Amino acid sequence: MSSLFVNIFNGIVIGTIYALSALGISLILGAMNVMNFAHGEFYIFGAYFSYFFSRSLGFSPLIAILLSLGLIFWIGFLVEKTLIHSTYGNLMDSLIITFILSIVLQNIALIIFGPYPKKPPSWIIGSINVLDLFYYSSQRLITFIVAVLLLILFFIVMNKTWFGKIVRAISADREVASLMGINCDKVNSFSFGFGVALAGVAGAIISPIFGVTPMGGVGIGLTSVVVVVLGGMGSFKGCVIGGLLLGIIENIGVAYISSGYRNIFGFIILILILLFRPSGLFGTTIK
Amino acid sequence: MLKKRFFSIFISLVITMLLISSISIMAQEETIKIGVVGPRTGPAAATGVAFEEGIELALDYINTTKGGILGKKVEVIFEDTGGVPEKAASAIEKLITRDKVSIVVGESHSSCALAEIEIANRYEVPFIIAEAWVDEVTSKGYKWIFRAGPCNSGVVDNIIQWIVAEDFKKIMIVAENTDWGLGIKKLSEEGLQKEGIPYNSIITAVESQEYYTELNKIIDYAPDLILAYIYGFGVHDFIAQANEVGLSPANALILEGAGPPSLWPEFWENVGEAGELECFVSAMHSKVELTEVAKRFREDYAKKFNREPTDYKSRSIYNVLLIAADAIERAGSADGEEIVKALEETELEVASGVVKFGLEPGTVKYHQWQPPMLIIQWQNREQVVVFPKEAATGELKRGK
Amino acid sequence: MKKSNKNLLLVIFLGIVVCLPFLLDDYWLHVAILTLFYVIMASSWNLLAGYTGQVSFAHAAFAAIGAYISGILSVQMSISPLITLLFGSVIAAIFGLGLGLLCLKMGGIYLSLTTLGFSEIVHIIIKNEYEITRGTMGLEVPNLLGFYSKTAYFYIMLLVTFIIIFFLAKLIKSDHGLKFKSVLNDELAASSIGIDTVKVRVIAFTISSAIAGFAGGLYGHYLLLITPEMSSLSQMFMILAMTIIGGMGTLSGPIAGAVFLQVLSEYIRIFGKFHLLLFGVISLLVIKFAPGGIVGLYRKITQSKTDPLKIETQSKYDY
Repeated sequence: MSSLFVNIFNGIVIGTIYALSALGISLILGAMNVMNFAHGEFYIFGAYFSYFFSRSLGFSPLIAILLSLGLIFWIGFLVEKTLIHSTYGNLMDSLIITFILSIVLQNIALIIFGPYPKKPPSWIIGSINVLDLFYYSSQRLITFIVAVLLLILFFIVMNKTWFGKIVRAISADREVASLMGINCDKVNSFSFGFGVALAGVAGAIISPIFGVTPMGGVGIGLTSVVVVVLGGMGSFKGCVIGGLLLGIIENIGVAYISSGYRNIFGFIILILILLFRPSGLFGTTIK
Repeated sequence: MLKKRFFSIFISLVITMLLISSISIMAQEETIKIGVVGPRTGPAAATGVAFEEGIELALDYINTTKGGILGKKVEVIFEDTGGVPEKAASAIEKLITRDKVSIVVGESHSSCALAEIEIANRYEVPFIIAEAWVDEVTSKGYKWIFRAGPCNSGVVDNIIQWIVAEDFKKIMIVAENTDWGLGIKKLSEEGLQKEGIPYNSIITAVESQEYYTELNKIIDYAPDLILAYIYGFGVHDFIAQANEVGLSPANALILEGAGPPSLWPEFWENVGEAGELECFVSAMHSKVELTEVAKRFREDYAKKFNREPTDYKSRSIYNVLLIAADAIERAGSADGEEIVKALEETELEVASGVVKFGLEPGTVKYHQWQPPMLIIQWQNREQVVVFPKEAATGELKRGK
Repeated sequence: MKKSNKNLLLVIFLGIVVCLPFLLDDYWLHVAILTLFYVIMASSWNLLAGYTGQVSFAHAAFAAIGAYISGILSVQMSISPLITLLFGSVIAAIFGLGLGLLCLKMGGIYLSLTTLGFSEIVHIIIKNEYEITRGTMGLEVPNLLGFYSKTAYFYIMLLVTFIIIFFLAKLIKSDHGLKFKSVLNDELAASSIGIDTVKVRVIAFTISSAIAGFAGGLYGHYLLLITPEMSSLSQMFMILAMTIIGGMGTLSGPIAGAVFLQVLSEYIRIFGKFHLLLFGVISLLVIKFAPGGIVGLYRKITQSKTDPLKIETQSKYDY
């Protein structure tokens, strides 16, 4: 029985990370109509930068994460200006370009950081006895709390600030938004930077647990896509629920079906969702 | 119109291809060429780096210290396999047909090795494998294929002997779903069955970084030894997470079945205190020098790279290059038949012992030399050899 | 004059290609055979992506299905690979048809995601069903002809490539081809003039899957070893990069792209670490600065010599 609890609990923790990363894809998709296939690579670069700042330069974890967040945002901003900008309105083009970009970034990471795993220092060591049922790593609990705080922050930004309102206006109707005097180009670069920064920060906070390797972004990138489709494209609420759901399903699946098939559950869900409810749990179909 | 363009493009491409290929045929030098295959890209690119280091040291020794072989310098051509069998097949084919190497050495992936031996055997070029452990490499009985490195059944024999000697009662096998993981898992199960030791096994996904569910299954089973057949960073996560969920060495020790990951520079960064009392299989130990060559290797390595060797695969490739050079020298020519004959008569001291290839056809021992494998335990961040007894530098600690 | 010029070029071209086994050494012949495989893969993927606008990520997976079905049948039932090859292709086509039907309601991005999911599922299953597929160890399969000859294999591959390219050319020029293009350019308009866009898509999907399955089988029975790597995303990336660099949506583009990248990768072998990075960067540069790829560039250079009207209709790069 305790193993069922630990599996669900663990699924929730991993699920928040999925949600955080998937929100970035969802934001970019909604605001810009761009499918970012290289999302997982921004995730690993977020982790690498935080590793670099904390391990190599000796900054405290918080500063390291903030610095890498800024750096990822800036890189995302540049990538949007140089590569993505010309693909507006053409989902296929953006899909192809970001697919190629992901291969390029993976190989850059391999050349700069090498093939060995890199792990920033843990913020806290030891583990906690949860309700006398099971032991759970303190680092994971803290990561979970930080991830939840970041999720809350995201929703505040999207609902209460000027930026969030504009992004939502553009997502709802690009033409009307630009008619109303919104400079879509500027918002686009900004949203892309913001979206990939979400992946970056997810990578940065999770890396003390899992470490980071050049190819580590592929899995999380694909998982994020699955979460976005599961939750419904364009729905932020859907991302959070989809992320949690996928986290739990994966953990239960591994525990009771087969651990060798850990990565298959997400894709089966993806196909089932696309088949029976293409709009996902909370979304609308994007044409 | 369309067709004309299409064909002229094709023609120009074909012509360039022809031109360039003929140019490269012309460049030739008087050296003895040895081919090396191994992963320089892909998930196991770390092995490529270790190989590069080993090659540099071996060439320094053969060409500078010994002044070459048969009056010629040795040249090494290192082809990337990417860890992918198809690419590996292309790589060795290129070494043999294009570079015309006299002998090929290397490889660390079983799947790549199985693809490569077919080609080396077809072209009748000798091939010494360094670090691909799958039994079939030698049990197929190919005349041209040798292995101067561990094979799965040899490693498992070693582990089972240790299990019996230390009187472990209940074993959990955790294997990644790769050729190596599944192969060594099966051999371990057979070995344990023979000894009548109860066991259970779990297969994990190779890309996985998350082992909580598996670990909770292990807690439920309550073994006193976990055989972790997980290669790469995954095993770091496994060890760190085992500690987090409350699996301490007092309940169950962990034996990491591959070796290098426990010696990588990042090991302690990644596992923290959870690495204490972890055991691993290794052909190399920081203090134990089995031969003079091992000492020379360590000194040369420290001089050249300003640090201690960590990935023992740099030494494995060093060994096979020495074996190859020795065989060519004794063969007196670069002729394949002669080299094979010389290899079969090899009796050479390398860094991990005295090489002598087995000659019983039809078994895994054919053309196989198994270096002694040590079982090492981390005790206060020091490597302590705990098995075999004759090489032991300390007692196994169980934790409290 | 132009007509005879074209025929002359055609003859020279065919002559050179047919003579390749006598001009190349063993290794380059090996490269040439692999190149032909990629020519088939890129050309058939181009039928989907370049002509009907369906960016499928499952093309490499279909090749793997063809290869594994053919390989498993020939190993376990000892049927001649010449027959199992067809089985592999048919099964790949059936999967293609199924996937095509699955994606009926969805278009564009949903199709891409479904194919991506499918491709990953195939990859994971091949890796995990160790007992049948031999997992990452790879499945050893018999030679297609029963004996090993690079020259013979080259001619078989060449023949198949010619037939497939010829077939694709005919298809694209046919009634169906026009339908493909109209679906690509404006789906709404196409359906309003009575073209069944769904049917057109499914047909294209099935055909290209069958071709991929067949090519995969040929590839497997040449290398004598099939591994899950065949269905990986980096394999898919190679196919995509070849098509884009060569010129998407043109008949000759994927051919030029496949030849270019294969030959290039032989020349930069020493920089093995940088291969994928380089191919990625080239692809990005091509998309950014020469969206027509090699073929587009060539057309630009020779533009002055050709009929401007023709260029107008062909240089449209849109999907």
